[in-house]
Amino acid sequence: MNALKRLVEELDPTLHERGRLAIVSVLAAVDRLTFTELRDALGMTDGNLSVHLQKLEDHDYVAIDKQFVGRRPQTTCRLTKAGQRAFTRYLDHLEAIVQQGRGRSGA
Amino acid sequence: MDARQAARNLEVIRTLMERNCQYQLLTARAGLAAGSLAGAGALAFSLLEPENPWQFGTTWALVFVGSLLSATGSIILRGRQRGERVWSRPARAVLLALAPSVLAAMALSVFFFARQEHLWLPGVWMLCYGQGALATSAYAPSPIRWLGSMVLPLGCLTLWLGPAWAVLMMGLVFGLGHMGLGAALLVAERRETTIRLHREVA
Repeated sequence: MNALKRLVEELDPTLHERGRLAIVSVLAAVDRLTFTELRDALGMTDGNLSVHLQKLEDHDYVAIDKQFVGRRPQTTCRLTKAGQRAFTRYLDHLEAIVQQGRGRSGA
Repeated sequence: MDARQAARNLEVIRTLMERNCQYQLLTARAGLAAGSLAGAGALAFSLLEPENPWQFGTTWALVFVGSLLSATGSIILRGRQRGERVWSRPARAVLLALAPSVLAAMALSVFFFARQEHLWLPGVWMLCYGQGALATSAYAPSPIRWLGSMVLPLGCLTLWLGPAWAVLMMGLVFGLGHMGLGAALLVAERRETTIRLHREVA
């Protein structure tokens, strides 16, 4: 029980939030996405997505680039190397929690 | 969070990642329709003459266009059902991957028809189709990759067998092949309706 509790406590709180975890999961599968594509993929509102992206950017997990395509502004998001590493660690933690559960049930 | 929740989270993460890098809108219905049309096209040559370039070209052009329309229609319907855009990033990636094979097939079709050697085309079409399917590997569900892997050697076999086997091989490869694709996609579609826990947690 202590080992499980420790694993849960070690989960990255930045990623251990439904919206931000979904954002990072989607970005982990692609090179980059525009803000609109990310919003549509996750069914989030502009404001909700912006808040989560800001938090992820503050922790250097996501890089947000703003540029003009023609005359239209376009915002693209991509996972940084730090974000990739954090996501991998988060997945490892989840796997370890699953293994702990399997171990306890088998005991 | 307990182990069951963690397993569920992992499954959701996996689903999100797959849905955003894989092209998911191709339906079983499209595969089955294409298979049926190809089979019907092959059967039509029990009445038509494969040596006649007009009959040969028109029949398979109708099969191709019919399959394309069926696929497009079912993709649009599926996109609406899921609330997803049809013209998406994965869709553009798939079309870009397919474009060289499609262009090659069209150019070679013109070449062989011009030389009245159209009965060699089925093998050529299969090679182009197999190449195209494998070119979409990064974005396509696994049944399409499997189909591409099988059609390539069958295209070589069709060329080796020669023009006398052209129509039969078209019916077998494109007809049965797409039926198999449709069946595999149907299994995948049924499984997709529930998020599976891919690990057993007591």
